[in-house]
Amino acid sequence: MITRYNKPLILHRPSARVLRQNVYSGRRRIQEEDMGKISYMKLKGSQNLRQRLLLSTLSSTPILIEDIRADATWPGLLPHEVSFLRLLETVSDDCHVEINETGTKLKYKPGIVMGGRYLEHDCGLSRSIGYFLEPLIVLGLFGKKPLSIKLKGITNDSKDPSVDTFRSTTLPLLKRFGVPSEGLELKIESRGVAPKGGGEVTLSVPIIHNSLKAVTWTDEGMVKRIRGISFSTRVSVQFENTMIHAARGIFNRLLPDVHIFTDHKAGAQAGNSPGYGISLVAETTSGCFISVDTTISYPKGNDDMDIDEKKELMPPEEVGEEIASLLLGEIEQGGVIDSTHQGLLFLLCALCPQDVSKVRVGKLVPYGIQTLRNIRDFLGVKFVIKPEPATGTVMLKCIGCGLKNLSRKLS
Amino acid sequence: MERSQKSHRSRQSGPSAKKKSDTDKKKRDITEEKKQNPKAFAFNSTVKAKRLQSRASEKEQRRLHIPTIDRITGEPAPYVIVVHGPPQHYTKHNVSEVKGPITIVSGKQRRLQFVECPNDINGMIDAAKYADLALLLIDGSYGFEMETFEFLNIMQVHGFPKVMGVLTHLDKFKDVKKLKKTKQRLKHRFWTEIYDGAKLFYLSGLIHGKYVKREVHNLARFISVMKFRPLSWRTSHPYILVDRFEDVTPQDKITTNKKCDRNVTLYGYLRGCNMKKGTKVHIAGVGDYNIAGLTDLADPCPLPSAAKKKGLRDKEKLFYAPMSGLGDLLYDKYAVYVNINDHLVQYSKVGDDDTSRKGTEKDVGVDLVKSLHNTKYTVDEKLNKSSINLFSQKSYNLKEITNGDDEDHEKHDNLIEPMDELDTVGSDDESDDSAETGSRRLKNNKQTLAENKVEEEREFHEGRVRRKAVFEDESELDDQEASDEDEETENNNSNYESLSSDVEEEEEEEHDIEENMGNASKWKESLVERTISRQTTNLMQLVYGKSETKLNDSFHEDIDADVSDDDDEFFKPKSEGKKKSSKGLEGDEVNGDDSSKFTNYASMKDWKNEEIIESIRDRVVTGDWSKADQRGKAAEMDNEDGPVFGEFEDLETGEKHEGKDKGQANEGGFLEKLKEEAELQRQRNIAELEDLDEATRLDIEGYRTGTYLRLEIHNVPCEMVEHFDPFHPILVGGIGLTEENVGYMQTRFKRHRWHKKVLKNKDPIIVSIGWRRYQTLPVYAIEDANGRHRMLKYTPEHMHCLAMFWGPLAPPNTGVVAVQNLSNSQASFRITATAVVLEFNHAAKIVKKLKLVGEPCKIYKKTALIKKMFTSDLEVARFEGASIRTVSGIRGQVKKAGKIELGNKPKKKGGQPEDGIARCTFEDKILMSDIVFLRAWTQVDVPCFYNPLTTALQPRGETWRGVRTVAELRRNYNLPVPDNKDSHYKPIERPLKKFNPIVVPKSLQSALPFRSKPKETKSKKDGRAVVPEPHERDVHKLVQHLQLIRHNKLKQQKIKKQEQKKKHDAEKAKEELVTRKRQREERRDRYRTQDKLQKKMRRD
Repeated sequence: MITRYNKPLILHRPSARVLRQNVYSGRRRIQEEDMGKISYMKLKGSQNLRQRLLLSTLSSTPILIEDIRADATWPGLLPHEVSFLRLLETVSDDCHVEINETGTKLKYKPGIVMGGRYLEHDCGLSRSIGYFLEPLIVLGLFGKKPLSIKLKGITNDSKDPSVDTFRSTTLPLLKRFGVPSEGLELKIESRGVAPKGGGEVTLSVPIIHNSLKAVTWTDEGMVKRIRGISFSTRVSVQFENTMIHAARGIFNRLLPDVHIFTDHKAGAQAGNSPGYGISLVAETTSGCFISVDTTISYPKGNDDMDIDEKKELMPPEEVGEEIASLLLGEIEQGGVIDSTHQGLLFLLCALCPQDVSKVRVGKLVPYGIQTLRNIRDFLGVKFVIKPEPATGTVMLKCIGCGLKNLSRKLS
Repeated sequence: MERSQKSHRSRQSGPSAKKKSDTDKKKRDITEEKKQNPKAFAFNSTVKAKRLQSRASEKEQRRLHIPTIDRITGEPAPYVIVVHGPPQHYTKHNVSEVKGPITIVSGKQRRLQFVECPNDINGMIDAAKYADLALLLIDGSYGFEMETFEFLNIMQVHGFPKVMGVLTHLDKFKDVKKLKKTKQRLKHRFWTEIYDGAKLFYLSGLIHGKYVKREVHNLARFISVMKFRPLSWRTSHPYILVDRFEDVTPQDKITTNKKCDRNVTLYGYLRGCNMKKGTKVHIAGVGDYNIAGLTDLADPCPLPSAAKKKGLRDKEKLFYAPMSGLGDLLYDKYAVYVNINDHLVQYSKVGDDDTSRKGTEKDVGVDLVKSLHNTKYTVDEKLNKSSINLFSQKSYNLKEITNGDDEDHEKHDNLIEPMDELDTVGSDDESDDSAETGSRRLKNNKQTLAENKVEEEREFHEGRVRRKAVFEDESELDDQEASDEDEETENNNSNYESLSSDVEEEEEEEHDIEENMGNASKWKESLVERTISRQTTNLMQLVYGKSETKLNDSFHEDIDADVSDDDDEFFKPKSEGKKKSSKGLEGDEVNGDDSSKFTNYASMKDWKNEEIIESIRDRVVTGDWSKADQRGKAAEMDNEDGPVFGEFEDLETGEKHEGKDKGQANEGGFLEKLKEEAELQRQRNIAELEDLDEATRLDIEGYRTGTYLRLEIHNVPCEMVEHFDPFHPILVGGIGLTEENVGYMQTRFKRHRWHKKVLKNKDPIIVSIGWRRYQTLPVYAIEDANGRHRMLKYTPEHMHCLAMFWGPLAPPNTGVVAVQNLSNSQASFRITATAVVLEFNHAAKIVKKLKLVGEPCKIYKKTALIKKMFTSDLEVARFEGASIRTVSGIRGQVKKAGKIELGNKPKKKGGQPEDGIARCTFEDKILMSDIVFLRAWTQVDVPCFYNPLTTALQPRGETWRGVRTVAELRRNYNLPVPDNKDSHYKPIERPLKKFNPIVVPKSLQSALPFRSKPKETKSKKDGRAVVPEPHERDVHKLVQHLQLIRHNKLKQQKIKKQEQKKKHDAEKAKEELVTRKRQREERRDRYRTQDKLQKKMRRD
C-alpha cells in the first residue's frame, strides 16, 4: 500500500551492522549482516524511475531512492510516477511502497507479480499510456498469471510512444524473444489526447513459461514497405488526409508500397480533447520494424481559455513531412530497431537465458545508455559495445542473466 | 591402477563366454532352431497390435528429454565421485587416510575428484549436492544399511546423479551358493531402488589391506567411460567443492582477539555454470557471504594436453590432494606453487596493504625468497598467458595504468603529508609529465594527420606514467614487473636509471617515446584496427562509467575529447548524449526526464532533397540489392572476427550460413529441431565469446567452469576455522537473483513411507533446499476442491499435502528433503519427508475452520437476538452479513449488534448490559431451544521462523541442536499431554422432549372442513363394564379352547419337524464325508497316473 506519512521517517537507521558500502558513481548498496533484515539498494534522483522499479521487481531487489527532485520547484514524485507505483501495486502482490512527506524519498520493496484478468488502472493525465505500457509489458511476462488490464488516460502524445506504435512495433519485438503470440495483444477501445485524455486501451500479456529466448538479430534488411495509421479525435477527418498526403509525398520517391490507414474517431470513442497524430512503421525484408509517431494536441493548462484564443496547432502538412523525415532518419541510422525501442531491446536481451544475444542498433540514445547502466546495476549484465564505422551502427552483445519466471506456479 | 601387460585371454566358460558365442552366432547369421509354431506368436487381433504399438511409442517418448544447451566451454572441471561407505583403496598411491577431496587425472580428457562421504546426515546432504557419481559401497556380508538408502533418497531429491553400487566383503562368504544368492538378492533390491539394470559392482575383499587389483581396475575403467548428465539445479548455479582451505586473517588480529572474525580463502574447481564477480555465495553449514576476492589460479592438476598419445603416461597421472596431507612430492610442489600465488595477491593489492605488510618486520632473507618466488611465478604466468592476443594484453596494461594513475592522483591530493624523497620527486615528475603530455599531444595532433596515431601516443604516455608509478611504489616489484613484460625490460631499465639519476630532462623522455613508438609500430600491424578497438573500450567506458576503471577526471575528459575528435560526424550526437548522461550520474541529471523517445530535430535532414533521398536508396528494396547485401555481409564479417575492413571473403560466415540452412532443411521431428537449435546456440555462444579479450570476457561471462578458483571471504566466524575438518568437504554454492530473499514457500510434501510417524503441524523440521539447510516450522495444508488451502493438523498418512514454510526462497521445481532428527545414533530412517517447491508467495493463505456457537436470548417474529456467539460488539461488526444456521436447518444472517433497549435490558440487579449480542434474522421463527452457529474460515499464520544449520561452526561430532518438537519438549520437561475435558467423547444423553398437545383455536376450528376438524374420539377406556349374556360367554369360552388346542398342535408339529431335520442333516453330513473321501482317492489316483504318464512321455 502506498503510505504518505506525515512525519519524515528515518528511512535508514545507521547501524553498526552495516558491513560494507559500495560507492559507485550512481548507486550505493548497503548490505546488512543478518539476512532477515532487508538490504536496500540506494539510488538517487528520479531519472529512469520506471526502469529502476521494473528491474527492482524483476530481480526482487528492494530499492531506496533519495533526492527525488529535491531542489525543484515542485519537489518529489510527480503524479504519473505515483500512478505508476499504484499500477505496480495493482499487478503485484505484497509490494511495499513508502514515500516521505515531500515525496523526495521512495522506498520500494518489490512483491511478486501476480497478473490476473479484469484489472483496471487510471493512468492520469500527466503522461500518456505509453509511459505505463513500456515497463508493464515486460513485467507481465514474468507474472504468476497472464495479465489483462484496462488502462485509461491519454493514448497518444508526443512524449511517449503511442499505442499504435506499441501495436505495430513493440509487440512483434517481444515475439522475437520467444514470447507466445497468443494472448499478446493491445486493444484500443477509445482514443484520448492531451490535455483531457479519455482514452482506453486493454493490454493483455501472456506469461512466459520458463525464460525468454536469446536472439541474434543483426540483419536489418531493406525496407520493403511502409505502413502507418493516422488518427483524429474531435477534429475533421481532413486533417488526417492532409497529413497522409504530405508524408506520402516524401516516401513516394523511395518506394511505392506505402499505405497509411486513417482512424477517425467520433463520439464517445474520441475522448475529451481534440487532436490528431500519425504513427508510421517501416518493415524490412528481414522482419524488422522501425517506427516513429507523433501527436498534435493542445498543451495543458489553457483549457479554461476559449478555443479561439488557443495557440494554433502545427499544421497537418508539416506534421506529415516531419514524421516522414523522422522515419527516414531512423532508417538511415540502421539498426534492427528504432531509437525508441533501444531500451526495451537491451532489457529483453539481458533477461534472456545465459546465451549470447547479439543485436545491432543505430546510434545509442541516452535512454538506451541509461538502460544499459541500470541493467548492469540490477542484473549484473554487461554488454560488449562495438561500433561499426562501415555501417554507422553499434553492435551489442551480452550474456543474459538467466532470469526465469519464478513466480509461475508449478503445475 | 597399473595395468599389467598380460595378453588378453578370452573367456572359455561362464556368462561372458556365452554372450560372446551368442553374438558370434548372430553375426554369422545362424538363427536358433526353428520355432514349432511361428504363427502362434504373431498378432491375431488388431486391438492387441495397436496396444503394443502404442506401448512401444510411449516407451520411446518416455526416453526422450528436452535437449539442454550445454553452456560449458573449455575443459570440464573434474567430476566429483562421492564414495559412500568405508574408505576405498583406489589409486596406485597409498593414501593412508582419505581427507578431503583427491583429484586425479584418469584419462586424456578426464579428471576425477574423489570425496569420501561423511557419515552424518548433514555431510550426506551436502555430498549429494556436489556428487557427479556416487559409489555406494555396500557390505555384502551385512547387507544394505540405512545410510545407503538415506543417501539414495537425498540424491533423488537433489537431482539424481549417476549411482554405482559396489558390493564389498564378498570374501566373507564361504558358501558359494549362499554368495550367489546374496548377490542376487542385493542386486534386485538395488534395482528396485534405482532402475532395472543399474550397475552393481562386486569387490571380493581386502588382500593385504587392499582390494584386488583387477577388480579395482575394472571399476576404474567403468568410471572413466561414464557419461554424466547435466542436472538442472547445478547447471544454473555455480558451485565449488573446496579442496583447499586457508585462514588468511592477519596474525596480529588473531593474537589480540582469538575469537575475531576470520578471513579465509577457499580453493576449488568451479563447476555448474559460469561465476561472475559480485555473486553471493552460500557456504554450506556456515551462511551467506559476499566474495571479497575472486581470482583464478593455474590448474593444479592439468589435463595432459600435449601430444596425441594412446593412453596416459605414468608421469601424467597427476594427483592432487592438499587436504590429505600425505608427504607427497607433487603435493609439496603444488603447495609451494599456490603459496606463492597468495603472496602475489597480497603484493598486488592497493598501497595501504603494502604498507601494512612493510610495517610488520620481516627478514631480508624471507623477502629475498619471496621475490625469487615472485619471479618464478611471473614467468609461469607469462608462459600461461603467452597465448593471449594483443588486445587483451593492452587492456591488461590499461588496468595497471589506471591503478598507477589513481595512486598518483592520491599523492597529488595529499601533498601536504610528509613523503619520502623519492616519492615527491616522482610525483613532481608526474605532474610535469602530464602537463607535457597534453602539450605534446597537441603538437602531435598537428603533426600527424591520422588521429589514430594520436591514440597510440596517448596510450603510450600512460604506459610511461605507469612504469614510474610502479617504480615509486616498491622496488621489489620491479623485478616482477620486468619479467612481466619481457619485451620492454630494457625500456624499464632505462627508466630506472633515468629516475634514479634524479629528475629527468625532456629530451630523454622524448627519446624514450621515440623508442617506444618504434616498438609500438612493430607490434601493431593495423592502426585502423587499433583505433576501432579503442573506440570499443571507449564506448563501453562511456556507457559503464568510470567506476571500474577509476580514471581520474582529466583522463576521462581526454577520452571524451578524443572520441568527439575521432568519429567525425557519425558519433557526435551519441557522445553528446553520453556526455550529458555521464555527467548526469554525478548529480545534475539525476532527475532527468524519463522518456524512451529520443527525437533529434536538430539533425533532421531535408528529405525532400533528391540527393539526400538517394543516400538511403540502398536501404529500401527499390535500391541496389547487391550493395545492401554487401553492406550486410561486411557487417556480419565485422561481428564475426573483430573489426576488419575488407573485401576478402569470410569463410566462417559462409560456414555459419550453411549450418543454419542445414538446420532448416532437416525437418526430422520436433525433438531433432530442438536439438539442432540448442547446438546452434551453443556454437554461436562459443563463436561470440572467442573474439573477446580476456578482461572483457570475464566481465561479460564471468569465470568459466573448470577454472581453479581462489575465493577470499571475509568475516566468517572463527568457529569455522576452529572446527574445520578435512573429512567434511566444504561446499560453496552461488546464489541466484532472488534466492537471497526470504519469504513463504509452498511445497508439495510427502511424508517418507519409511518414516514411522506422521508429522505434526508447526513442528520444526530441517529442510535442505538448493544449497541451503535450515530448520523451519511448516504448516501443512490440503487444497480443497474450490482452491481453498485448508490447514491440516497432521500430514496425511500416504498422500501428498501442501507444506507452507518461511525461509530463503528457492525457485519452483526445486527438490526438498526434510529431516527431523540429525543424530547418528538413531536407528530408524532419518529422512522424514520429501517435497518439491511449487511456488513462492509473500503471503501465506492457509485457513482453518472456525465455528461460533450461540443461543437466542430473545425471539421476535423472524428476528432473534443471539448471545454467547460473540464477545464484543466490535466482533459482531466484523461478522455483519455472515450467514448463520440453527441446528434444525433454519438459515439466517447476522445483522448488527443488538441495541440495549431491545430485549437486552440490563439485569435487574446486575447493572452492566451484556456485550456482544447480535441481532440476526432467519428465514423462519426460531425456538429458544435452538442452537445457532456460524461457520467461518480463519487465516492461519505461518510462523516467520527459520534457523540456518551452522554445522560447520561446531565440532563435527556434536549433533546440531535447534528448535525442539512439541513432543520432545513434553518429554524433556515431563509435561502431560494437554487434556481438554470438552474434547472427550461421552455417550450422548438426550432427555426425552415433551411436547404439549396442539391446541387449535376455536375460530379456526369452525372454519376448518369437517375432515380436518378435531373430533371427539371415543377412547377405549370408557369406564363402563361390558357384561356378556351367558350364551355369549359360552361361545367365547369355546372359541378360546379351540384356539388353545390348535396352538398346541402346531407347536408339537414344529418340534417334530425340527427333530426330523436334525436327523436328516446328520445323515447327510455322514454321507458327504464318505463321498469326499472317495473323491479324493479318485483324484489322487488320477493325478498319479497322469504324472506317471507325463514322466514317461518326458523320458521318451
